[in-house]
Amino acid sequence: MKLTKFLMGAFIGSILLSACSDDDDFTGEIDEPLGTYDNGFFVLNEGSQTAGTVTYVSQDLQTSEQAIYQFVNEGDDLGNYVQSIFFNDDLAYIISNGSNLITVVNRYTFELVGKVDSGLNIPYYGVVYNGKAYVTNLADFSTGDDDYLAVIDLETLQVEETVIIGNYADTLIEEDGLIYIENSNYSIDNGGISIFNPTTNTVENTIETYAESEEVTSTLNSIEIEDDFIYALSADRLEKFNLNTLTLESTILLSYEGGSAANLDIEDDQIYFTVGTSVYRMGINAEEAPEEAVLTYNSNSAYGVMYGFEVEDNRIYIADGGDFGSDSFVEVYDLQGNLLNNITVGVGPNGFYFND
Amino acid sequence: MKHFIRYILFFGVLNSAFSQTDSITVLEEVLVIPTKLKEFSTGQTLTSLQDSLLLQNKPSLISALNFNTPIYFKENGLGMVASPSFRGTNASQTAVLWNGININSRFNGQTDFNTINTGSYDAINIRGGGGSVIYGTGAIGGTVHLSNNIEFEKQFKNRIYLSYGSFNTYDARYQLTAAEKNWSTKISFSRNQSDNDFEYIDTDRKNLNGDFYNNSLNAVFGYQFHKNNTLKFYSEVFESERHFSLIRPSENRTKYEDVSLKNLLEWEVSGEKITSIARVAYLKEEYKYFPNIETESFTFGEANTVIGKYDFSYQFSKKIKLNAILSHEYTDGEGSSIPQNERNISSGALLLKHLVNEKWAYEIAARKELTNDYESPSLFSFGTGYSFTDFYKLKLNVSKNFRIPTYNDLYWATGGNPDLAAEEAMQYELGNEIQFSNFKMTLTGYYNDIQQMINWVPGNNGYWTPRNIDEVATYGAEFLLNYKKQFGRHLLAVNGTYAYTVSENKITEKQLIYVPYHKATGSIYYAFQDLFIETQALYNGEVFTRSDNNPRYNLDAYWLWNAGLGYHISKNFTLGGKVRNLLNSDYQNVEDRRMPGTNYTIYLTLNF
Repeated sequence: MKLTKFLMGAFIGSILLSACSDDDDFTGEIDEPLGTYDNGFFVLNEGSQTAGTVTYVSQDLQTSEQAIYQFVNEGDDLGNYVQSIFFNDDLAYIISNGSNLITVVNRYTFELVGKVDSGLNIPYYGVVYNGKAYVTNLADFSTGDDDYLAVIDLETLQVEETVIIGNYADTLIEEDGLIYIENSNYSIDNGGISIFNPTTNTVENTIETYAESEEVTSTLNSIEIEDDFIYALSADRLEKFNLNTLTLESTILLSYEGGSAANLDIEDDQIYFTVGTSVYRMGINAEEAPEEAVLTYNSNSAYGVMYGFEVEDNRIYIADGGDFGSDSFVEVYDLQGNLLNNITVGVGPNGFYFND
Repeated sequence: MKHFIRYILFFGVLNSAFSQTDSITVLEEVLVIPTKLKEFSTGQTLTSLQDSLLLQNKPSLISALNFNTPIYFKENGLGMVASPSFRGTNASQTAVLWNGININSRFNGQTDFNTINTGSYDAINIRGGGGSVIYGTGAIGGTVHLSNNIEFEKQFKNRIYLSYGSFNTYDARYQLTAAEKNWSTKISFSRNQSDNDFEYIDTDRKNLNGDFYNNSLNAVFGYQFHKNNTLKFYSEVFESERHFSLIRPSENRTKYEDVSLKNLLEWEVSGEKITSIARVAYLKEEYKYFPNIETESFTFGEANTVIGKYDFSYQFSKKIKLNAILSHEYTDGEGSSIPQNERNISSGALLLKHLVNEKWAYEIAARKELTNDYESPSLFSFGTGYSFTDFYKLKLNVSKNFRIPTYNDLYWATGGNPDLAAEEAMQYELGNEIQFSNFKMTLTGYYNDIQQMINWVPGNNGYWTPRNIDEVATYGAEFLLNYKKQFGRHLLAVNGTYAYTVSENKITEKQLIYVPYHKATGSIYYAFQDLFIETQALYNGEVFTRSDNNPRYNLDAYWLWNAGLGYHISKNFTLGGKVRNLLNSDYQNVEDRRMPGTNYTIYLTLNF
């Protein structure tokens, strides 16, 4: 770069910067953080023998704070085995499957707002639609027959209805007024997707995925919806179904020496998934599986490898379960696979939730 | 006054190398210590809790041992699942013997110390250190011996003990002893139940869903054909139901049911030089776990075990004894997650005891097991004791011990690993014993190197699977003390224990979780005429709860203090009361498991 260009650039930059700051002064409230925990992300640590926690990490990855719920709400905790968080406006709903509990907090301050503490039986994941929360419940572990969706009134925080799904109920996605429920559950060979209509409170349809339709030892791992298609990732394949016709559009076989495919995430027209300690990526219209990993990270944890995974705003987030008996870590990478930071979190980190 | 004398016995901390040479003579009544334990413990240290001491404690085995031994206990809430850590080892590395038969669960290799009601036993003897050559699997950290005694001495006695305490807790024990010169019987029934709904200290919350009960019926019969020809039969039925305490009110309410049956037939014939003991035992264990009491759904396990044992000893002279033990064990077990499996284990052991002279004794022993189900090492032990003076004795014991893979380890439907080997532990122990007429002190140092420790770790297919991967070194020191003095109509007895324990994972170099570096217990008993007072104290050091020893999550050290007062209203009638946790300590020995504050018990004992 020539010196003149550099100086020119610096000059323009300084003008822009000062303009921005002037602008800030003018409408000062716009970027004002809404609470201590704005402008960063949460890592959910499921805990083991004791209650789970939430770690807050700032957007610049430079500061982190452990067990923020216990810190803000002294003497209380989130319950055992915190599974997931879902959001509605300013509120975060934190699900504990070991304590049949959903703790509702302000997502920016983490102050307790209320709790759903009855009508749940091993709650797992939730979504909000039309003023109500829909939360999957596993009930008896040994059978899928009693798994149900709890319909929660968000004003009263009471479970107002429960609807049996008729199959294992795991993660769920709301799209265009329908709720798509993944019918799998860890360590059980199972698959399929139930389509639930919240207007009628019934399961209207099901999609048969590979894991369900074949005599195979494979479990549906994760689902994603993007542009009228639902993508279903099983151990060795990615299937794409048309949401309007519910028919299978395409299948990509995923065969890697490192193990089974997991953690489907679609971001900016790129499909991401993990195999063992590696992250793979392909275009949304790719017809074949990628060969080269974007990155591979180091882990001493056999079961906790890629225990949480997310791609968001040009960063790749990886959570390592560690030994589930002590604090573990998360790692954040750029899209080229360069490590940006390694951050200590709590016991058994299982997911990332962004607050910006 | 007899009560006082009996009481002394219960506090006796004995070195029991060989009955002839040892100091048990200071005791005026017979201590119930099984012969084998008494004879083959050279170089080791024995603590003996006799039945009247057991009456001073709550009936569960954990209560009896926690205040009187260096063993650390993890209790998942009062009355809930309780497991020992003896000399820094894990829950399946302490063997519990019922009249000489190893009763650790065939499923998980452990004994839940809240599923043993001590109301039926005449004595509980505790021996620190290895004992696998004689007592088999799990005898690594130490062994706990539950014993019933049979006396062929004409008598007819009834004893009733009734107690009532805080949280609506009942403890009732009845015992009938009847015997003639050639037969003897003892029948005991114990019931313990509690609402267990204590309030958490400094909160408005209570212990929820913690209620439990258990019943234990124990019968012992003996028949003497001839002085040297005796038949004995021991039988016990135990049944319990526990609701497991909740941590938070919204949790699913669970419960756990246990049934166990123990039977042992023993035929002993002895001559001038030989002793022959044939034993047949039948054990049954059964559990049901209800993960949600609102539904009928449960998981279960059931195992039936038959053991045949032949024990032959030959006395070459008054000083040399050779003992051979052959045994075969057959187990048939299954569970919700365990397909039905049969298992056969044969073993042979050879023991030699030599009293060289009045000062010096040693023993050598070896054992080998044969089974198709896992790899089993050859075991041995060597123990010796030498009395340098009439008040000082030095003891040494070296042994190799093991813990076999359990049904869960081998056969669990998802993850069970049929290729496991037994855990192996090499142990070295050096003991010093100082004894004056009414004062005794032992100081023992030990080192235990445990290899191939079985640990459940995540496997390739998403299931946890057990593997022989861990290596642990435990070492430390145990200090035992007792003192008693009678002057006129006063009697004073003092008892204390202290343990310093390091239990280190050799790969990570971290202390194992839930093993405190320090534990101490102490008790003082004082009687004047018909009145007696007693106090017990317990100190549990800080423990790690995280495998990386992050101190932020440690459980705090705590002190517990109990005090009791009793009065012998008449020869046959005693009334008393006890206050537990006088300091109202808000303590936990398992994370998030709150324990009760100050609580009260009143009791009466009737002998007729």
